[in-house]
Amino acid sequence: MRALLPFLASVAAAQTFQYRGFLETRGTLYPQSAANDTGRAVGEAILRWEGSWQANSSVKFHGSFDARTDTHHQAERNVRLDWQDRSLRRPALSLRRASVVWNRGPITVEAGKQFIRWGKADILNPTDRFAPRDYLSVTDNDFLGVTAARVTVEKGGNTLDAVSAPRFTPSRTPLLSQRWAVLPAQLENIPLIDEGSRLPGRTQFGLRWNHVGRGWEHALVFYDGFHHLPLFNGELQPRPFALRFHRYHPHLRLYGGDLAVPLKWFTVKSETAWFTSKTTTADEFLLWVVQLERTHGEWVFVGGYAGETVTARRSPIGFTPDRGLARAFLGRAGYTIDPRRGLAFEAAIRQYGHGVWVKSEYSQELTSSLRLSASLTMIRGRDTDFLGQFHRNSHGLFAIRYSF
Amino acid sequence: MNRLLPILWTAAALAQNPRQIIEEAQRRQRSISQTYEGTLQVIDGKNRIAEKRWRYDRIGSFGDSKAVLRFTAPAEVKGVALLVYNHKDRSSDQWMWTPALQRDRRIALQDRSTRFFGTDFSFEDLEERDVDQFEYKLLGEDAIDGHACWKLESKPVKTKSSQYTHSYFWVRKDIYAFVQVEGFKTERLARRIHYRNYQNIKNIWTARTFEVHDLSRNSRTILKLEKLDYNIPMRDDDFTLQALRRGS
Repeated sequence: MRALLPFLASVAAAQTFQYRGFLETRGTLYPQSAANDTGRAVGEAILRWEGSWQANSSVKFHGSFDARTDTHHQAERNVRLDWQDRSLRRPALSLRRASVVWNRGPITVEAGKQFIRWGKADILNPTDRFAPRDYLSVTDNDFLGVTAARVTVEKGGNTLDAVSAPRFTPSRTPLLSQRWAVLPAQLENIPLIDEGSRLPGRTQFGLRWNHVGRGWEHALVFYDGFHHLPLFNGELQPRPFALRFHRYHPHLRLYGGDLAVPLKWFTVKSETAWFTSKTTTADEFLLWVVQLERTHGEWVFVGGYAGETVTARRSPIGFTPDRGLARAFLGRAGYTIDPRRGLAFEAAIRQYGHGVWVKSEYSQELTSSLRLSASLTMIRGRDTDFLGQFHRNSHGLFAIRYSF
Repeated sequence: MNRLLPILWTAAALAQNPRQIIEEAQRRQRSISQTYEGTLQVIDGKNRIAEKRWRYDRIGSFGDSKAVLRFTAPAEVKGVALLVYNHKDRSSDQWMWTPALQRDRRIALQDRSTRFFGTDFSFEDLEERDVDQFEYKLLGEDAIDGHACWKLESKPVKTKSSQYTHSYFWVRKDIYAFVQVEGFKTERLARRIHYRNYQNIKNIWTARTFEVHDLSRNSRTILKLEKLDYNIPMRDDDFTLQALRRGS
């Protein structure tokens, strides 16, 4: 028994439970009404809790929950615990993360619902394939977790990441009855029947090799699975006259890479991916980003260009915010006024000025747990442009967050 | 008396050689690992105080060490972490982990002069200074906090990238410990770090209080070391990019 005591003591010492989270209330004001949405004020509240338990030196459990409600029916009203994140609306209660991490030497395995982020660029990440998002408010989006097994082997400057996701998690797209779903003028007087989503059943697979060199880093990425952003398929029914449509997720095989090279005056970051598909209605294209990054005093600057080259055009109808930010100049600047206050600016300007999105945000710490932030988002452009189509959705947002 | 003679001889010899003073100071600081919990008070020019806490773990020692610094408070930065790989022949490699983004970001050399997460430490101040990366000059003797000190000047060698064109060091003669460091950008004093409350922990004299003064902003950060320990078992695997992710 005495011999066991040091062991038991070390096990007890290794066990740690940690948590963090926040309660945030947000108010969004839209000066203009939209054709399908007359509401101009949206109130939201979200409670997020994230906990982790280190069971022993090799095993750690992670869990995260969201509870939310709002005034605009973007969140479901029925209270049930959702773990799939496949619903059109945000669940009132959702399991964001539930995973176990095992580590021994250079090997780390994480299984369960988790967040996987790939890529090095900041505003647009073409290689970030296991990162679906909640796009109910297109410009203020949030990541969704994926159900997957991830094996990482790290040796020296090399990291190999293999991911297998047996259960597909789609991005959440704007609700048809709300302002972020901008319908073409031809559909204005046609009743729409939403037949939901046809989700793929096959496992998705991804590999990423990252190399940290002396002062620079690069990675190669392969992905075979499905695009988390949907395409739409519809047909007119004569009686009663309506358009029936459903969402589907095209096959996607991606070859990509990223690179970060710090130079004397700034850091160059680049990310490229070639999207190919066996789905006959899906485009094949190359998406790439080149950005420069520089920190100077209290300023952080990121600026660059996102480009797109279509290699096979099949003209699908889809919701494509990633391609919507391509052929655009992207920028971000942050200024720390003092340890309590900060300013941030973000912008995307499409190549020919057909769409412009500019966001400015001020945030201030009120107490060590309370932060207030206010932002203004301006969107301008043509109806035919991905960003420009939201020109009636310029808005102001006010949020107060209590962190614990 | 016979026993004292070699010590006096050594001290006299070291006093002639600034590099040896630094080497001796580093030799006395050497440990296979270090851990502490830091409490920080950031006091801005208007005397407003913000409090933060971090946990610091280091494996290895000068010129060949790895360190992880992870914020534990306030709540909104809990989990933000910095991984530092210190090298003998060049500037350190640094990565920052932001749990809200689930991503790490490499801190480029040209960004090392910026403040670390609202404190008055710059990223460069959080790396270890290996003796080989600087050239030293003995400027004389001085007294700080009532302790007799050597005053030295250091300049980075060509392969070392530093925001400071030169720095002044005050090293206590009795225990070979740094009492004050002043970092200059050309002729302008940019940052002063003052080390206080020395205690002998496992035969290593350690300052329990650091005060960093950013003179350009007239802002100060006071770091107090708690639960300080040396030479405890640590795993190399806990000082990797994957470990940053696992720890969040």
